[in-house]
Amino acid sequence: MRSTIRARSGRVLAIVGLIAVVLAPAMTTVRAAEGDLILKVGTDQEFSGLNPWQSVYVVDYEIFTLNYDLLVGYDENLGYTESFATSWTTSDDGLTTTFKIRPGMKWSDGEPATADDAAYTYQLVIDAMAGELTMGSGYIDGYLSSAGLKSVTATDPETLVVETATPTALLIPAYVPILPKHIWEKYSLEQIANAEADGFFANDPPVVGTGPYTAVEYEPGQFMRFARNPNYWGKQGAADEVIITHFENNDTMVQALRNGEIDYARGIGADAFDSLVGEPGITTVEGNANGYSYLTFNGYPKAIEGGGASTRAVADPAFRDALAWGLDLPQLVDRVLAGHGTPGTSLLPPFQAKWYVAPAADVQRSFDLAKADEKLTAAGYVKDGSGKRLDKDGKPITLRMTWPASESELATAAQFITEWWGDLGITVTAGVTEDETLLVDLTPPEAEPPGKANFDTYMWGWVGDVDPNSLLQPFITDEIGGSSDTFWSNARFDELFKLQGQTLDETERKGMLQEMQEIFYREVPNVPLYYDAELHAYRTDRFGGWQNQPLEGGTPLFQFGPLGYTLLTAAGEEPSASPSEATAPSAGASPSAGATGSPTGGTSSNTGLLLILGAVVAVAVVGTLVARRRGAKATEEE
Amino acid sequence: MATRFILRRLGQAAVTILLIVIVNFLLFRAMPGSPDRILARNPYVSPQAIQQTRERWGIDRPLIPDQLVRYVGATLQGDLGFSFAQRGRPVTDVIASRLGPTLLLFGLGELLAIWIGLALGAYAGWRRGGPIDLIGNGISLILYSMPYFLLGMILLLIFASTLHWFPTFGMTTIGARFDSPVAYVADLLPHLTLPVATVALGLIGQYSILMRSSIIETLSDEYITTARAKGITEDRILRAHALPNALLPTVSLIAINLGYVVAGAITVEVVFNWPGLGTLTVEALSARDYPVLQGVFLVLSISVVLANLVADMIYGRLDPRVRS
Repeated sequence: MRSTIRARSGRVLAIVGLIAVVLAPAMTTVRAAEGDLILKVGTDQEFSGLNPWQSVYVVDYEIFTLNYDLLVGYDENLGYTESFATSWTTSDDGLTTTFKIRPGMKWSDGEPATADDAAYTYQLVIDAMAGELTMGSGYIDGYLSSAGLKSVTATDPETLVVETATPTALLIPAYVPILPKHIWEKYSLEQIANAEADGFFANDPPVVGTGPYTAVEYEPGQFMRFARNPNYWGKQGAADEVIITHFENNDTMVQALRNGEIDYARGIGADAFDSLVGEPGITTVEGNANGYSYLTFNGYPKAIEGGGASTRAVADPAFRDALAWGLDLPQLVDRVLAGHGTPGTSLLPPFQAKWYVAPAADVQRSFDLAKADEKLTAAGYVKDGSGKRLDKDGKPITLRMTWPASESELATAAQFITEWWGDLGITVTAGVTEDETLLVDLTPPEAEPPGKANFDTYMWGWVGDVDPNSLLQPFITDEIGGSSDTFWSNARFDELFKLQGQTLDETERKGMLQEMQEIFYREVPNVPLYYDAELHAYRTDRFGGWQNQPLEGGTPLFQFGPLGYTLLTAAGEEPSASPSEATAPSAGASPSAGATGSPTGGTSSNTGLLLILGAVVAVAVVGTLVARRRGAKATEEE
Repeated sequence: MATRFILRRLGQAAVTILLIVIVNFLLFRAMPGSPDRILARNPYVSPQAIQQTRERWGIDRPLIPDQLVRYVGATLQGDLGFSFAQRGRPVTDVIASRLGPTLLLFGLGELLAIWIGLALGAYAGWRRGGPIDLIGNGISLILYSMPYFLLGMILLLIFASTLHWFPTFGMTTIGARFDSPVAYVADLLPHLTLPVATVALGLIGQYSILMRSSIIETLSDEYITTARAKGITEDRILRAHALPNALLPTVSLIAINLGYVVAGAITVEVVFNWPGLGTLTVEALSARDYPVLQGVFLVLSISVVLANLVADMIYGRLDPRVRS
């Protein structure tokens, strides 16, 4: 055997390394002696980055509202509250809104934060609108463009005057973070809006903001670390730092919560959530989602060459209404969501307590196949001799049904629906479609580039803002070719949509929204299947003061603004009763080590065992080396 | 000639990689759908703005030749485009930041598996039918047939969740700051233990089974009988005569395995939330981040090509017949 000294020393090094791996836990020292109280949050969503215009997911919104203030914030019941602005008034004609900006406010870097910064931020959107650009993913600027933003002026450091093209209810709830002009003005609109531009401004840490925490470290795909903003104007929570970590594996996130490696978990799967319920030291929260999953019918009114629906029936409200009687929504909640959700009714979820209107008892549908059958026949969809339901052209109805691959649980829903509608004599051919393909299939001829709206029914979901506007907009006629996936068109609904967006009086606006919800329920452009629950859980051994936002049906974090973080208090020093805490060895941990709660800090009681293990490995390795050396010697002798 | 052999193999590898680049382009473009359609789901984005995005991404141009030429040219210059999900980050940056953790995890795992697996296999084959063979072969079969994620979850539940010996996830403790490299390594090692053990255990079975059968085959060869007739000790026969020959098939297996580091990484990394290429692949899949996926595929296929190249070289060195 050719065995040079170099090769051998490499082996020895490798062995030393391996022994070190085995012994390492025993050598780990307890850190976090700095005494910093760190809130560790786990989420299932990946970060899009720190440039707020690029936000796509809930976690992105969470991040920018930690860093920055909105002009107007949200309180514990999602009512408006002061934030960057302390008060606001709208002129009688509804076209001019004047915001009073908090006096003496400072950015986290010590620069004064004034109306000038707010004007700069809003002006970015006006410039983008003028150039027909979207800013990043188009969600944040969309709030202001849909509000009809026309001009913005800072008349003095504490006064911001905003003019809109029409009276609007959408300006105050515009979810737009106010950015520091002295940082952002160094970049062009293109460098801010376009993530692929040369010199794109990613807003890498340390971020300068006015929010309660500002990002100081970002490891893409992994975690984001926030430190207290020393200049924050409001009450601050007990956490000195906040770290949001992304988990690709739900089970690992739940184990980390159990082990105390994180304090809060968002987006827990139903099974894992059920296993956490009732576990001491852990509180589970089943919040209502601000959105819904739906089954859409292709309501495109005309025939499309080489595409369109397979039958005109899906464009008929009477047919859709009848089929909606053939859907057992409570059963879907039970079987698809393991009970974590509520059956769907309106296109506005009950989460929007201010605007949601349940259908009146006399029109509310339930699961009744006999009634569905009756309604289908009455609407002119009769069965043939073999029990097949025929459309008005006398053709047996076979509906294609699909859903995006990213929403795998909808496959279960499809199985049930296929069976129920099968009982009505309607054949359903169900199959999943890759998201991008589905998006193309949903594109109607009006879009650019034009599509063929090639589907009959499909399932997906919508998610809303605090304001109901964005959940209503996909159903107006103007959106056919845009966000509309039902191609439904109703003149009264369109008219009300326009009016409600311009009505500042909430009672009056609610009346309009009620009528819109009634029209929607009657015409069934889509069937809201269910409102999925938001499954979160948190530990109570290190932080107290957890409060849901909204108080009814909300969750403590990942809602609207940083309120939940600012309410947190440090839990008492007394040990918690949680079994995982009780079994976690605490030897060698200083009292402040509770602040990290990391199991690495508590491994020292296993030192003995690991030492023995290490010794065994060492003996084995040394033995091998000696044997080898002997072998090498023998080769030379041969 | 050795140099000619190496040059020829290098040339073949380069051609293969170029073909991979082209196939990679076609594969991702062949998938139906278009990345700009997701913008249409946002009621607040105007059709004009969507059209602008299409132009910006170059997807309004014909696929062949415009987009293909642009892609191959850019790829050769190391420009893989931008990630959709991690907004504004070049794909090369995204992948580069994840390469180190994967190499560390799999490098250590492979090293351990090679050592233990080959030793176990050689011993079991040598003492065929003995207790080590029976137990070792049984365990090897179980480990070989067990998927990584299952093995990982079992280790996680026992050693992290129940015994609390090791942390559950990540490469370092979240929120920890390190004053010195020593402190960093001290935090890294416990995080590394379970993932490395998973990788190593998964591979040990494979290596030991192959080594065992290879040794058994070698031992029946005539030169072993000759060695015995010469009166050489059994131990010497194993070490000096049987092992070097039995190693040949395992070398190619190991070298090829190295090429699949990324593929193998996927499940282990996801279980332990390890910030490597495997987790990145799953993230990119769930976020439908095609530029990153395309980049990962490229890295993966190139590493397989390179691993095969290395296997050829090593093989050539161990067995001169291959070179001629």
